[in-house]
Amino acid sequence: METVLILLGVIVVAALAVIIYVIGAYNNLVSLRNRFKNAYAQIDVQLKRRYDLIPNLVETAKGYLQHERGTLDEVIAARNSASTANAKAAQNPGDADAIKQVTGAEAALTGSLGRLFAVVEAYPNLKANEEMIRLMEELTSTENRVAFARQAYNDSVMVYNTSRETFPSNIIANSFNFTAAELFIVEKPEEKEAVKVSFT
Amino acid sequence: MDFFQRQEIARRNTRLLEVYFALAVIGTVLVIYLGAEFLLNFEQNRNVDSNGNVNLTFWDPQVFTIVSLVTIFVIFSSSLYKMSQLSSGGSTVAEMLGGRTIDVHTADLSEQKLINVVEEMAIASGTPVPLLYLLSGEDGINAFAAGHTTGDMVICVTGGALKYLTRDELQGVIGHEFSHILNGDMRLNLRLMGIIFGILCLTLIGRILLQTRGRKNPLPLFGLLLLVAGSIGVFFAKLIKSAVSRQREFLADAASVQFTRNPGGLAGALKKVGNSGSLIDDPNAEDASHFFFANGLTESVFTWMSTHPPLEERIRELDPNWDGKFIPVHPIRHEEGADQSGNKLSPAGSGGLQQLGGLVIASAAILPQVGAPTARHLDYATDIMSKINESLIDAAHSTMSAVALVYALLLSPDETVRKSQLERLQSNPVIAQEAERLFSMTQNLESRARLPLVTLTIPALRNLSAAQFAQFTNDIQSIFALNGQADLFAYVLQKIVLRRLNPHFNPPPNRVPQYYAIKPLLPDCAVLLSAVACAGQVEPDAIKIAFDLGAKQLDDPNHVLQLDTTAYDLSKIDAALDRLNQAAPQIKKTVIGACAETVAADGVIQENEAELLRAIADTLDCPIPPFLAV
Repeated sequence: METVLILLGVIVVAALAVIIYVIGAYNNLVSLRNRFKNAYAQIDVQLKRRYDLIPNLVETAKGYLQHERGTLDEVIAARNSASTANAKAAQNPGDADAIKQVTGAEAALTGSLGRLFAVVEAYPNLKANEEMIRLMEELTSTENRVAFARQAYNDSVMVYNTSRETFPSNIIANSFNFTAAELFIVEKPEEKEAVKVSFT
Repeated sequence: MDFFQRQEIARRNTRLLEVYFALAVIGTVLVIYLGAEFLLNFEQNRNVDSNGNVNLTFWDPQVFTIVSLVTIFVIFSSSLYKMSQLSSGGSTVAEMLGGRTIDVHTADLSEQKLINVVEEMAIASGTPVPLLYLLSGEDGINAFAAGHTTGDMVICVTGGALKYLTRDELQGVIGHEFSHILNGDMRLNLRLMGIIFGILCLTLIGRILLQTRGRKNPLPLFGLLLLVAGSIGVFFAKLIKSAVSRQREFLADAASVQFTRNPGGLAGALKKVGNSGSLIDDPNAEDASHFFFANGLTESVFTWMSTHPPLEERIRELDPNWDGKFIPVHPIRHEEGADQSGNKLSPAGSGGLQQLGGLVIASAAILPQVGAPTARHLDYATDIMSKINESLIDAAHSTMSAVALVYALLLSPDETVRKSQLERLQSNPVIAQEAERLFSMTQNLESRARLPLVTLTIPALRNLSAAQFAQFTNDIQSIFALNGQADLFAYVLQKIVLRRLNPHFNPPPNRVPQYYAIKPLLPDCAVLLSAVACAGQVEPDAIKIAFDLGAKQLDDPNHVLQLDTTAYDLSKIDAALDRLNQAAPQIKKTVIGACAETVAADGVIQENEAELLRAIADTLDCPIPPFLAV
């Protein structure tokens, strides 16, 4: 009977050791996941600022750009779809597809903004408009902050993904459905820089 | 009773708790052993002798050893595990209960109100700004604070608290939480959680065993046994938990009133709790029930099981004339502009608050103020915050501009030096540009507002990724190096910033005090006292007098302490502080007391003396409120 008891003791101890390891690895993954989700929240804050600035920008430009309605409408449409995509991603930054959609929508938005600014170059009255200058400066500042927040997010995603893929925590990751996180990469290489606004 | 004494009491309570816990473990082991013995007897009929009589054996050394070893191992390892998990900071508890962080940049007016209240209190008490969490799904009015040191504090409030409490009442509640932080209750609470989890583990294992199947399987019976024994253990542990936390609640209420000078605020909050309740829905609330401001669980019939004193009693302590009626709750509407960034509320009686240059102060006034901020400090903090340029506060709240702001504060007023400093920052030109822009704004900043502004940047800086923080640290060191030895403020700034952020990014191993006697640290004390003496005095005689006053406070029978005029050197001070940081709290108290004596030798506290004292206090984890005129 004693041997059964000893065996029982050993089983309990071994089971406990395994359980503790699994809990530790699981909690580590959860904490890394929370970290990159929190980092996305920082991007979210800055993106929302950006989306709030754009309608003002379009309103200010509308009076001057009577014949460029197409460009203006394109900007508004891109802004709306980016805003929706961002709202969805902010709810669950762990969803790789949602992140891909945001990066795509953001790239489209940056592209259409670029086209708008190219058009604005040809209208000196609009370029000199004080409100326009202020809005464009704020837009640049916001895009800088997005870039900074994006860098922080990508750093945290890298750490999480590495932990998710290395042995032995990858076993835990797979058993508990820890999906790979998506990096926030700006797709078109020429859009990598913040939209530069110069009036010289 | 001062800050250090209260911490000592908290520590003693922890020890008492551990004794009770040991008793609970022994009791559990005995119960399991007796149960196991009983089962074995029942199982095997091994004691049936030739006549068919059953002899029950009650003492079997082998079984006893095995049972006790395994049980103790299970309890201790799971307790240690839980405690190490919790040692990663207060955020763990907040996230466990489903809290989400409140961004300092929030547009929500009620959240803004909370952030302002918390920032004022942090400046007033000299602690870092805690991380803020919100339990948005909870409608009851409740809050809690968690964390190991003042450096990694977290304060969490429920949605109900934000919705139903006025600014004064919110201030009372947050003051209560800050008192918990300053009293060192948090360590005790976290240890409690770990210990109870250990005993709980037994019931968990029991439950698992109970569900195993199989013929002639003894495991379910064992499981039942573990379940029963574990439950009894948990029952006793909860009793202990409740007894300890009830006492702390009254203390925190009293300290909050001392802090805000407004018993009506806290009393009002408690009266509203009477009506709207403070229940927390989350199932994990049980584990953290002793952390909360008001009772988070349904009132148990037995008051000795409750983690908080009865609500009525608490209200009567604060408001002896209470008519017994609770206040009905309704959502508070927020006035626009009252609490937008840059608190515009005018504090009462702020007229007489002086600038720091040459402040008259008595040394006896410094030490008792550690960890015990009063309403005057709160007024001072409100006053300071209203004087800081709104765009600087805005910059402090956003991560990228917070980085730029810290660099800006480190930039030298000398243009050539500044240029080379900015060159060092060219790895990120956008931030360098922003730093230059903010530099011109900081030139108008009152000198007494500089360190509080730094305090405000810390929450935003916590959002940096690990890689970004490494870059930030490098940049700070490199521009600080260009500042030259003369800039005491820059030294204090970078020390405080790095010290408050490092634990978040590189969690330190649990620090056990290395020094319990002051003798090995006397050379470091000499360095510190000499530096402080040289900071405030110019005449060699005056310096010597100041030094001696401080040295008298330390136990130095062999006269090891010698004035060292070269000690006013930042690297020496740094090394001395790092070593002193490993001392036991009582020693830290004595050292700070000695420094305070030296500072007050001429009866006046100069700006650089104040800054140096603040850096010393911050490194040694003793929160000093701002210095006020006597």
